[in-house]
Amino acid sequence: MSYYFAIVGTQDNPLFEYEFGTSKQGGDGQSRFTEQVRHLNQFILHSSLDIAEEVQWSHGQMYLKCIDKFFNNYISCFVTGGNVKFLLLHQPTTPTSTATSRSSTAIGANPTSPATEEAIKMFFTEVYDNWVKAIMNPFYKVNMEVRSPIFRARVAAAGRKYL
Amino acid sequence: MAASKASRIGEEIWKTRIDKVNAELVTLTYGTIVAQLCKDFEDDYPEVNRQLDKMGYNIGLRLIEDYLAKSNTMKRCSNFRETADMISRVGFKIFLNITPQVTNWTTDNNSFSLVFDENPFADFVELPDDGRAQNELWYSNILCGVLRGALEMVQMQVEAHFISDVLRGNDTTEMRVTLIRYIDDELPPEDD
Amino acid sequence: MAVYTFYIFDRHTECVYVKSWTPPTQAAGASPAPAISAGSDDAKLVFGTVFSLRNMARKLGGDDDAFISYRTGQYKLHFYETPANLRFVMITDTASASMRNVLHQIYINLWVEYVVKNPLAPVEHKGGAGIKNELFERGLDQFIRGMM
Repeated sequence: MSYYFAIVGTQDNPLFEYEFGTSKQGGDGQSRFTEQVRHLNQFILHSSLDIAEEVQWSHGQMYLKCIDKFFNNYISCFVTGGNVKFLLLHQPTTPTSTATSRSSTAIGANPTSPATEEAIKMFFTEVYDNWVKAIMNPFYKVNMEVRSPIFRARVAAAGRKYL
Repeated sequence: MAASKASRIGEEIWKTRIDKVNAELVTLTYGTIVAQLCKDFEDDYPEVNRQLDKMGYNIGLRLIEDYLAKSNTMKRCSNFRETADMISRVGFKIFLNITPQVTNWTTDNNSFSLVFDENPFADFVELPDDGRAQNELWYSNILCGVLRGALEMVQMQVEAHFISDVLRGNDTTEMRVTLIRYIDDELPPEDD
Repeated sequence: MAVYTFYIFDRHTECVYVKSWTPPTQAAGASPAPAISAGSDDAKLVFGTVFSLRNMARKLGGDDDAFISYRTGQYKLHFYETPANLRFVMITDTASASMRNVLHQIYINLWVEYVVKNPLAPVEHKGGAGIKNELFERGLDQFIRGMM
């Protein structure tokens, strides 16, 4: 199970990106994207922005759940009050013969299950908390790339904790 | 005055006589000032430090009157050690609700350190990663100016500067305060 | 009780505020207010006097001693000094009690609140410019008249 997380500003400009793998079920927290897929990931996320902008007005929630799917890539989205979008691409490992009933209970094995939705929601909420703190930094300007190593570490911690 | 009594006074004033304001408002306002200074002086951090000190000095000149009015201690401190305790336990307590530790006295009792365990100005702050701010900018330098201005009004000329800051990656935030001299009363001009 | 004149001197020994009151009605038989005008020479004299008396009080009574008031046949002069060397002087009739607390109240409730905390009011008043602050003046006038 691999994740690609990106934060997109109000001008559809990328502010932050982070790649990680699952830490549940004995995962080592490393992503398993190949070099080609990495570039593709950015395109997939970018293309889902249109849908995010449509869905964000349809219900008053910040967490929009899973909004898009491209082959085996699922996109979950969270919109902040300032119209900054958190996008998480999750790619469940394709079931192999060795993974049987055990893998099906893993978070993310079924990307649209309530358990997965809830885990991603927890992840987004924690990132949102830290995001607010990061942009409260007086030296941060709106729509500027977030380079803070502290924020990156906190996103990584949230990823480890929930996904 | 004993340190514990100073603490009690500070606590009492903080609870009863101080109008409170949202902490984030203070943090963001101060942050905006520093960021704007950095912008205006094109990241000339030594100059930003000087400007902050100057602003603090002008604040201190006034703030001392509010301190005296609120603390109701219409009596001078008998020595510099007492002054230090009053700064930390009453002054910082009532204006920022923090009590920095007074420590590292020199043997002549003229110089001490204030060690800040918490600093409401510096919440959320990360210094710009341009490779210079970490070594040149003293983010909370306004506090040095405030002490200098306030103590000057009660006839103490002091020198204050930061020697470490957690924002720079140091373990502590420490300010050094040194008494230079007690200022004499000004005399009326001689009549001709 | 009657208040005749009120002075504030800053730490540079400059008179920054002076105000005189004439009692609304002279009670029959009461001694007329002494002819204390608000002229600058008087202010200088008053300062010279209280400054010397304060220094003398400290010399005889120790550094913590304070000069509080003196009395003549015609008036009583009250003195109050803050640690920031701001000096308040009030001249009243001879019958009035200690005004130390009143001067302290003027300092914390009027001076600090209206003058010091007004960001546009200068901290120093060079050359005897004096403070011109409506809130302070009105507050002071009300306060004094309330006592008389």
